[in-house]
Amino acid sequence: MADGGLARVLSKQTFDPENFVNKVSQGGEDELDEMQKKIQRLADETALALKRNVYKHYSQFIETAKEISILESEMYQLSHMLTDQKSIISTMLEMSLTSEEVVTPGEMELELPTEDDVQSSLSILLEKVEGCSSMLEAPGRHLVHDGDLLELDPESLSPIRELRAFLLNDVLMLAAWLPHRRGLVKYRFQSLYELDNLAIVNAKDTGSMKNAFKILMFPDTRTFQADSPKAKRQWLDKFEETKKKKTARDKQRKDATTPDRSSITSPLDSSNPFTVDLEPSSPVSSDRPQSVAIEADLLHLPWLQELPEDLDVCIAQRNFEGAVDLIEKANDYLDGCPKSAAIREYRGRIEHRIQQLTEILMKELQISPERSIRGGPRAARRAVTQLIRLGRSAQACELFLKNRSTLSKYSLRQVKIEGNTALYVKKLCELFFNTMAETCQEFIKAFPDHFGCHAAFVVWAKQEINEFLSTFKSQVFVNKTPFAVVSDCVQEMRKCCDQLSDIGVELTFVLDCLMAEDIEKAIQDAGDNQMDAVRHRAMEDNWLPMNFQNVTALQQFENSMINLGIKNIHKYTFGECFTELTQNTIQFTKSYLPFLDAMMTIYSSQHHRLITAAFVDILEAQIRHAQVCARDTKFTKEVV
Amino acid sequence: MMSKPKAQQPATIHKVIMVGSGGVGKSALTLQFMYDEFVEDYEPTKADSYRKKVLLDGDDVQIDILDTAGQEDYAAIRDNYFRSGEGFLCVFSISEQESFQATAEFREQILRVKNDENIPFMLVGNKMDLEDKRQVAVEEAQSRAQQWNVPYVETSAKTRANVDKVFYDLMRLIQRSKEASQNASGVKKPNSGKDKKDKKHRKCIIL
Ligand SMILES: Nc1nc2c(ncn2[C@@H]2O[C@H](COP(=O)(O)OP(=O)(O)OP(=O)(O)O)[C@@H](O)[C@H]2O)c(=O)[nH]1
Ligand SMILES: [Mg+2]
Repeated sequence: MADGGLARVLSKQTFDPENFVNKVSQGGEDELDEMQKKIQRLADETALALKRNVYKHYSQFIETAKEISILESEMYQLSHMLTDQKSIISTMLEMSLTSEEVVTPGEMELELPTEDDVQSSLSILLEKVEGCSSMLEAPGRHLVHDGDLLELDPESLSPIRELRAFLLNDVLMLAAWLPHRRGLVKYRFQSLYELDNLAIVNAKDTGSMKNAFKILMFPDTRTFQADSPKAKRQWLDKFEETKKKKTARDKQRKDATTPDRSSITSPLDSSNPFTVDLEPSSPVSSDRPQSVAIEADLLHLPWLQELPEDLDVCIAQRNFEGAVDLIEKANDYLDGCPKSAAIREYRGRIEHRIQQLTEILMKELQISPERSIRGGPRAARRAVTQLIRLGRSAQACELFLKNRSTLSKYSLRQVKIEGNTALYVKKLCELFFNTMAETCQEFIKAFPDHFGCHAAFVVWAKQEINEFLSTFKSQVFVNKTPFAVVSDCVQEMRKCCDQLSDIGVELTFVLDCLMAEDIEKAIQDAGDNQMDAVRHRAMEDNWLPMNFQNVTALQQFENSMINLGIKNIHKYTFGECFTELTQNTIQFTKSYLPFLDAMMTIYSSQHHRLITAAFVDILEAQIRHAQVCARDTKFTKEVV
Repeated sequence: MMSKPKAQQPATIHKVIMVGSGGVGKSALTLQFMYDEFVEDYEPTKADSYRKKVLLDGDDVQIDILDTAGQEDYAAIRDNYFRSGEGFLCVFSISEQESFQATAEFREQILRVKNDENIPFMLVGNKMDLEDKRQVAVEEAQSRAQQWNVPYVETSAKTRANVDKVFYDLMRLIQRSKEASQNASGVKKPNSGKDKKDKKHRKCIIL
């Protein structure tokens, strides 16, 4: 390819564009032209090649992803088979009558499980339980025991739900059954309790309650029933054993970090790999104990140690601000610490409490039937503020707005339906837009500086208006509503909506868009009615001045015309009870002028043409009638 | 959230917690009250709970007894037990001075956890049948009870002396305290839908 050389020049690492251009421009116009074409061709080719490459890699990428997923499922099967085999071996061990097995646990007790065990048991667990992964990812965590339990109401002892319980080396996880699940995921994460503060109670059988035990974890007291006495015994034993191991482990770790106190003899110390005999003044010599010591020291501040439990108490007391304060305090502190296993583990402890708190806060914002709807915006704002601090502004925003929607709908339902449509609609509009304004103000207070959320507000407001309009339309744009009432209602709504712009929300245009069709139809219909009336009256016109029979009636007529805006009506009256105007003209005036008023009330530039057309058509029809009459021989006497 | 209690089961449950050093007879008292049996041999308790229907001043109620370990050495877990209790029987053995001294610590821990000076509480001197081995004088125990403003009763799990009395008296104290807190709360919160939870919270907040 002729351009190959050029491509090579251009893609040279040391390519100097200035120099290149200088050289090229010396050759004159033709050469420049030629060069331009060449470069253009080159650019096209490159683009094409690039595209092709992307596609080629894309299909490779998909292929790879497929491979990976196949590999993944194979790995899973493999690990499944391994655990099966393992359990077979362990049952065989149990069945064997030799005392071998009884001896080993004592020795194994302090040994940490091997990395493989940890990995496999935990990964299987992660796959079975939906929503637990983030919480369980702590180093060294492994499964000790699991089984099905029936949760009982702690008071009445009647069954509540079936659960799957997983005892890990430092926590207890409860998961709910997911019914009709075929795949790997069989359970949904429900709660996580740290063994440290978990109190287990053996509930003695009474009446219907058999094989039960309780778990006390402030503020929860939960009662569970095992399938059999043996299963219950196993749970209690495993709990005790695991808790003991954990305490031993913690103690060991603590001792390792406080070598000064190792002189206070403890049986564990002799076996403690981290305790080095030290002169009181000498610093810790080997690297590892030192780093362990530092990282554990970082965590051994009293306030930090008590923080998880303080957090529990705050949550139980619904002191949400306090809880979030604690969380922020902990996070601030932990952010300044080096990343290490101990810190990660500690973070995990905080993390699941954050989750718990978040759930409670979200519940605060959800309107439930049993909770009073008048919980008030302050309660909502409180929950929102804390959720924002927890970094959940999007959810907070969504829930907050949902909450407001429900509130708004509820208050609208409280408005009594009135016989008078205009009055009823007026009340609805005022209420709706007042609530909207309140929501807006609350929102600005609750989400200061969260501009992303403000967009959500606008979307929400639009939706609300749309919904409100369907109520509005069903009241206003129905066949029998007089046009004057329709236009009053529309005006009222626009007025209310305009008030929102005082606080920075401009929604009138949304309103107009959404109502445009209905308004057009209303205008059309009203105009048609006028036309019909004009034609109808024309047929009955006798072209005679009106006689009101007496002075009072004439007076009344004059007043009503003045009210309509015809101030010089006197010019057209004479005698005691006559007007020069015909019945037809009077009726037309009385109907056309209010129609004009209503039209101007409902007017918006959007409907300008339609409205003017209606005005003109009707007026023309009326004038045409007058012209026809003027030419009609029947009326030659009457026409002046 | 709560499923309805079965018709035949009384709705009221009084939650009693047995506290005191190891071997003073908490389990013996509980078992005597529950099953009219005295156990001779000593088997340290971990944490057992019992439930029984009783007639308290003409009303059907349930008593829920949590028998705790005297030997337990993790205070944090004890907190959790204590939090779940509405009334406490603080037991020592009249034949063992240390067990009497230990009652002060139990009292302190309970007050800290429950945050309520008036929590239903009784000081119980057990093993009164062992008069010849007495190490704690009646006056000594009474003066401590007075100081705490709680009743003092001596019992024997062996002879069943005063066993019913301590449980029933404590249930009455619990009943009275519940009524008082209900009256106090009745004005504030007419909403009774979830009063069970609220009550717990209120206790924590009082201070
Ligand atoms: N003579 C006599 N012996 C008693 C009495 N109460 C308990 N004992 C004996 O004291 C021993 C300990 O009683 P437990 O009831 O098991 O003690 P505990 O307070 O439950 O002890 P922990 O469960 O370890 O906290 C047992 O051997 C009982 O038989 C009593 O009133 N009189
Ligand atoms: Mg006992």
